[in-house]
Amino acid sequence: MALASVRAIARRLAWVAACAALTAGCSSLIGGKAADTLAAAILNQDDPELVASGVPAYLLLVDGLIAQSPDSAPLLSAGAQLFALYGSRFAAPERAVALTAKARRYGERAICLVHDAACNWRGLDYERFVAELERVDDKDIGPLYSYAISWLSHLDATSEDWTAVGELPWVQAVLERALALDESYENGALHGYLGILNSLRPPALGGKPDVARAHFERAIELSGGRDLSIKVEYARRYARLVFDQELHDRLLTDVVDAPAETPLFTLFNVLAKQEAEELLATSKEYF
Amino acid sequence: MGERSGARLARTLTRLTAAALLVLGMAAAHAADIKIATVAPDGSRWMLEMRAGAAEVLAQTDGRVAMKFYPGGVMGSDAQVLRKIRIGQLQGGAFTAGGLGERYGALNLYGTPLLFHSLAEVDAVRAVLDPELAAGLERAGFVTFGFIEGGFANLLANEPIRSVEDMRRKKVWVPEGDPISFLAMEALGLSPAVLPVTDVLTGLQTGLIDIAFASPVAALVLQWHTKVKYITDIPVSYSMGIFAIDKNVFATLAAEDQRIVREVMARHIVALDREARDDNREAAEVLAKAGLQTVTVDAADLASWRNTLEGVWPRLRGRPDFDAAMFDRLLALLAEYRRTHPPATP
Repeated sequence: MALASVRAIARRLAWVAACAALTAGCSSLIGGKAADTLAAAILNQDDPELVASGVPAYLLLVDGLIAQSPDSAPLLSAGAQLFALYGSRFAAPERAVALTAKARRYGERAICLVHDAACNWRGLDYERFVAELERVDDKDIGPLYSYAISWLSHLDATSEDWTAVGELPWVQAVLERALALDESYENGALHGYLGILNSLRPPALGGKPDVARAHFERAIELSGGRDLSIKVEYARRYARLVFDQELHDRLLTDVVDAPAETPLFTLFNVLAKQEAEELLATSKEYF
Repeated sequence: MGERSGARLARTLTRLTAAALLVLGMAAAHAADIKIATVAPDGSRWMLEMRAGAAEVLAQTDGRVAMKFYPGGVMGSDAQVLRKIRIGQLQGGAFTAGGLGERYGALNLYGTPLLFHSLAEVDAVRAVLDPELAAGLERAGFVTFGFIEGGFANLLANEPIRSVEDMRRKKVWVPEGDPISFLAMEALGLSPAVLPVTDVLTGLQTGLIDIAFASPVAALVLQWHTKVKYITDIPVSYSMGIFAIDKNVFATLAAEDQRIVREVMARHIVALDREARDDNREAAEVLAKAGLQTVTVDAADLASWRNTLEGVWPRLRGRPDFDAAMFDRLLALLAEYRRTHPPATP
């Protein structure tokens, strides 16, 4: 197979909804109950357009707060997640590169503040990088998670670039380390991301569909089935990769039939349901 | 919202196909449903081009020719796909030269180890021989619309490889089903270890092999850059991909439909072939950024490797799957190119 053609692998990195980013972000911004109420209002919103036009105000706010407190790891962490979320999910592709680059810089600064050695991670070869990750302990899982998903969001935004393909194993190693520290972090989101990463490549090119399936199943379990976007990714990535139409259609029908309104998941479930309908419409043609 | 342009493009194309089916395909079932298997993952550039071509073909033939793809290697290896084509379960595939070489041995010739000195030589030879190989493949039962560059493989290892001497006592990977590379390694006095591509990453990790080879793009996609530290920058062998359809199936299409399929698919394949070179150049830069050190081989040493390997050629000529006549054509073209393009003296 002409491997040269597989450049777009990273393009397929989709985005399991990073709902938690909003919660984390807003709490750090305003603190306490007001933040939680605001985050909930966003996450419970069933109009994605409204959110898309509202979130930039918080990006400006978080930028300002970080400028004021440049050494606050929680703020940087929140900034990393908010910019990653907005850049990868709501912004036009041409703006996503810069937005997610900022996300990544915030993510790097956050982990560097809580874990000194991380300040020198950039440019490490794979073996040394993995060894370094072993030294991160569970108290730093928050910044580690922000570091991972902000980096991933940037790879997604720059997936036309071979650098993105080249860096995937590094990001995957971060996610795996975070998973080893706490697999249930953010309702099992880590399993969702690892499900996607392991189903990007077919087995003939080194992909591991069985590993992907296990991650997706566990992600569904840990989210209590509330996060419909995991089922959509499970269908889009895994079921299409292994040509399992029965599984594909069953997962997506589940999503279409499920109510979108689920506390703290409504926004992303609305988006997931739209995607499920689109995928179902092309099922017969694909399989 | 938030979808990357590639995904969006893929979806648009899918929609186009669906719309075309609705508008044009109402009258009758397709005269021809051509099922094509490939290892390329859905959403890859390869698949985007192929699907774009298929959508054009469908529209231009008023729905008479529909291509359906089975991406991601779901139909199995090259050998399995060929078997499925034989029994009519599939009608075409995207193959490696080695995979389709089982049906038409001359396809392996470009991959002869250390044969080409440069991509300029490759271009000069391919400009003349590609049409001849395509014609030969057609006689062997497959219609192709062009070849797609995979590029030169380089040596990848955990210790710098500057000479054959550096490779001794090391386990050198040879792909499964690649007798020519095996003979070449033996000729160099090395101990080859045969493994499928998918086992190389683990092999490098566990020390089952010490040296592998791959194009920069392949090394990145297969993630071998996480397990090796050095890349030896010599054109070990040239690889390509081939998109081909069963000739018997193609022959059932109306002459005008055949012309459309050839014209449209050739155009998309030329695009992929051209992009491959930039891809490998960019991928090589990424390998360097990932910390791989580039090692060069002394020119005199390289010449002696080539001499040794040329010693294997008489044995190759004796093989039933080796097209000696075409090989001589290739050597003559190379000699002519080298005569008219002498290397700049240092």
